[in-house]
Parts: sequence; C-alpha cells; structure tokens
Amino acid sequence: MNLTRGFLARRSFLKMFGAAGGGLAVSPWLNASLASAQELPTVKPIEGFTGPGANPHWNSVGPYIAEPQKAPLILMTDRPVQLETPRGYFRTAFTPNEAFYVRWHLEGIPNGIDLREWKLQVEGNVSKVFALSLPELMQKFKAVSIAAANQCSGNSRSRLQPRVAGAQWGNGAMGNAMWTGVRLRELLDEAGVKSNSVQVQFQGLETGMGPAGLGSSRFLKSLDLNNPVLDECVVAYLMNGEPLPMLNGFPVRLIVPGYFATYWMKCLTWIRVLDAPDENFWMKTGYRVPDTPRGNTTPEDVKADTVKTVPIGRMPVRSFLISPDGSSKIPLGMGITLRGIAFSGFGRVTRVEVWDDEDKNWLDAKLDDEHGAYSFRTWEAPWTARSPARHVLAVRATDEKGNVQSDEPVWNPGGYLWNRIERQEIVVGSAV
Amino acid sequence: MRKGFAAVLLAIAGSALVAVVVNADLTKGSYRPTDLGSLQQAAPPELSTDSIYHVPAYPVPALELAPGEGRQEVQIYCNTCHSPRYITMQPPLPAATWEAEVNKMNKTFGAAIPDDETHKIIRYLQAHYTPENRKQ
Repeated sequence: MNLTRGFLARRSFLKMFGAAGGGLAVSPWLNASLASAQELPTVKPIEGFTGPGANPHWNSVGPYIAEPQKAPLILMTDRPVQLETPRGYFRTAFTPNEAFYVRWHLEGIPNGIDLREWKLQVEGNVSKVFALSLPELMQKFKAVSIAAANQCSGNSRSRLQPRVAGAQWGNGAMGNAMWTGVRLRELLDEAGVKSNSVQVQFQGLETGMGPAGLGSSRFLKSLDLNNPVLDECVVAYLMNGEPLPMLNGFPVRLIVPGYFATYWMKCLTWIRVLDAPDENFWMKTGYRVPDTPRGNTTPEDVKADTVKTVPIGRMPVRSFLISPDGSSKIPLGMGITLRGIAFSGFGRVTRVEVWDDEDKNWLDAKLDDEHGAYSFRTWEAPWTARSPARHVLAVRATDEKGNVQSDEPVWNPGGYLWNRIERQEIVVGSAV
Repeated sequence: MRKGFAAVLLAIAGSALVAVVVNADLTKGSYRPTDLGSLQQAAPPELSTDSIYHVPAYPVPALELAPGEGRQEVQIYCNTCHSPRYITMQPPLPAATWEAEVNKMNKTFGAAIPDDETHKIIRYLQAHYTPENRKQ
C-alpha cells in the first residue's frame, strides 16, 4: 500500500465516521480540521541574504551546519570556518562548548594536532626562551579559572547602515565560558621580559595561502606590555571544564578578559616578546576603530581620510532579550518572564532595565548571580501586556563604570563595536 | 451548525454528564513536505588513544553562484583562499565596494590575480551582487 492510498483511506474513514456519527460531539471539529489542513502552509525558509537595509533578525540568516564537535550552528562561511550561535543558547550564563560561535580568518586551520610534538613557545626579547608541552603547562604552573565573555569585534555587523563588507553577523558571534589555565604573567615572568620590550605578540596555528609577511599568510595579534589586562590574561586549556573544541582553539587559547575576541588567540603556540611595536596587518590595518566616542564615524569622513584609528580594545556594555524571541504569540493577560544576558568589557553589569511601548518607562530587571566582572550575567523581569497589539520591548544595561547603552546607532567601516539598545517585537493576542 | 452542536452538548450536559464545550477553531493534523530539508546527525567520531587529536574535514556545502560571465574566474581565483560563500554571505554591496574588495585581495593580501581576470571578477560581482541587481 502506498502512502497516497493510505492517506485517502484515512480520509475516507474519517468522512464515514463523521457522517455515520452525526450525532456525536466529536464530528464537527474533525470535519473542520480536515478542511483547514489543506490550507496551512509549511515553514518557509528565511531569506538567503539581507540588505541593503539592516538585518532585521536577531541572528544571521545562513543555513544550519553540523561541524566537527559542534551542535548545528548558523553557517556564516565554510572555508575558513565562521559559525554563529543561535539565540536560544544564551538563556544560560555559560554557552555550551558545542554551541560556541567560531571565527577564523585564514583557510589553514588545524584538523589535528599531535600533542607529542606540540609545544607552547615563549620567545623573543626575553632572558630565557622556553617551550612547554601541554602536560608541563598543566603541571608546572598554578591553574586558575575565570568566567569571561568572548565576543567577535564584528558581532552584529549586519545592523550597520550603510552596510559594510565583512562577516554579516547577527548577535550570535559571542559566548561565555569558564576558562581554566595558567596566568600569562607567570609565563612572562618565567621567561624574563627584557626592559626594552614594548609588546607581547601571540601567534596560533592559523595560516593562509598568501605571501609571507602579508596578513593573508599569518594571523598575529599583540598587546602592549604596559597594558594592565596582561595581569588578567589566562592561557586556557579548559573551556567549561572540558578540552576546547578544535574550532575554538584546541589545545590552548589566550583569554583576554573584557577585550574583543580578536586578541584571544586560538591554538596559541607562540608567545613572543617584542622590542618594537607590531606592525603586521592584523594590528596596523585590521581590527582598528575610529578614535572617537563609541568608535563612530561617517562614510564621508572615511572617504576624506580624516579618521584617526586605534586598535580595537574593550567591549562596550551590551544586553540582550533572549526569551521570548518573538516566535510565539502571547495571550493577553498572561504574565510572562523576560530573560536575557548582559555583559561589559569595562567591568560588572550593575543594572539592566526593560522598556515597553505601553509604559514607555525603563524598569529594573532582576540581576541573577554574578560569575565575574567579565562574564555574561543573566537577568529576568516579569512582563504583562495591557492590550492586544504588536508590542516593542527594549533592554539596556549599565556597567560599574557608569557606561549605559545608547539608542544611537554605531557606524565605522570595519563594522565594529555595535552596542545599540536591542529591541524585540512581541505580538500579544486577544484571549477572549 | 455550531449552534446545533452546542445544543447537543448542552443536552448531554443537562443529562448529568459534565461535558466541556470545546468550541475553539481547532486545527489538527496538518503535515506537508518542507522546503527546509533536514540536517543529518553526525555519527560519533572514532577516537584513538594515541597523542593525535583530530577532527574530520570541515564540511563545505555546495553553493551555486549566479550564472554569468566571470563566474569561472571567481571560482578559480577567489576560491584559492576562501570559498565563494564569502561573496554570497555579504549584503548587496555597491559596485565601488566590490571593486575595492577585489583590489584589496590583490594589493593587501597578495592574491596576484592577473589584470584581465581581476576586471572580469569585478564586473561579475558588480553584475550580480549589488543592491540594484542581486537576486540570490
């Protein structure tokens, strides 16, 4: 018996049942269901791209893909790999490893590492060059743990107007984990940084097809030796208590709390002390932001070449409504719970407020437990609509330095530093 | 029809049964084939106990670039360093931006695409991926 015949047989049976059972209470809605079943559409795929307007969705619009060691994530690019974390994974303060977003620059990313051969090298302008195997790193130095949010410099780039080239991230190029490893400072002290040193450079195993010396050949990032963040940096071999997924930087990754992810070198293999500023592409040209409030500038000023830039640094304060996500209609009178996360690269989140288009007031949300100054912090707030309508909710956070999210957009040619107040439309339906 | 239905139920309720009147506009049993497809689960990896830690090759799904003059050059030259998804992932970009992007690949990243092919690639991107003409 084929499927069509089976289906028809079932319909005939129901029709007969309906006809024969005319006096039974069940028959009218059985007939009704058969009629409307023919008319319901299936779920439609999301549009394949957004623009030239802003991406209106929370996430980017790519398909799902199953990459090694990963849950299905949103595909940004496949070679090199860039994956975005779907919204729902941000309900908790810690982002699961298998859902943690991925961003590589060059196509030569490791598929395998032989830990018998691999060593972390500490070299350059130091008294004692040395190399550590993973067991040596784990055993010779004290283990420390820190909860810290990692966010791509270009997270939310698809919000910019006019749009700029680059990975068209929605909001999911971020994640938070408990990172465990050894302090970078201990490694630098062990090597003995010479007094004329100015920066420390980080290099991982990522390589590209480009000619030596160009940004397409190696990905390198550096931090100034007088930057206090060096005391907070951790060379991490655990992520949420597990080894790092290959795509997130196995076997060790640099953690730079509060800073954008560009400095968090994956597959960290060389720590190199420099006696002159790093002028490689990824410092001198890439990942730079206008030296202006919020990194704002205009296409006109960029064209006129009047924009002074600096390397990107700490992450401005952000907050997100994670649920509800707008996929369900809320019956009028139902008191629901708004939930989300907030974080800042400048320190603890001290306040999260929510707004709706009925009250037009900012009301304090309840902050959940802290996991550390640079961690995601979850929040919640009760919410009940007073009328059936397409409501708009907004959320904003304040950090301990007094930085508050603004409703003004951000624009710069790299598409960095977006932290405008987020909005979410919630449809409330009549329930009577 | 509905009134009649309610009346029947009321009659039943009246005869000592506690009946719940579900007069909702209920929809049930709607199933259809989907355009979204499905994503197969990966089989658990086979892991060895030696010192080598590896994962399978990273997957590259098929991708159809817009047909037209210059597509072959894009597939040959651009594909050296990155998959064509780097093109389709972008929003529609103005013609001048596409020209600047391709020039950046040559000048900043050392792509060394010959002049003729560089121009073909620029013209192809400008013909299919700007706000005026992008379709897919």
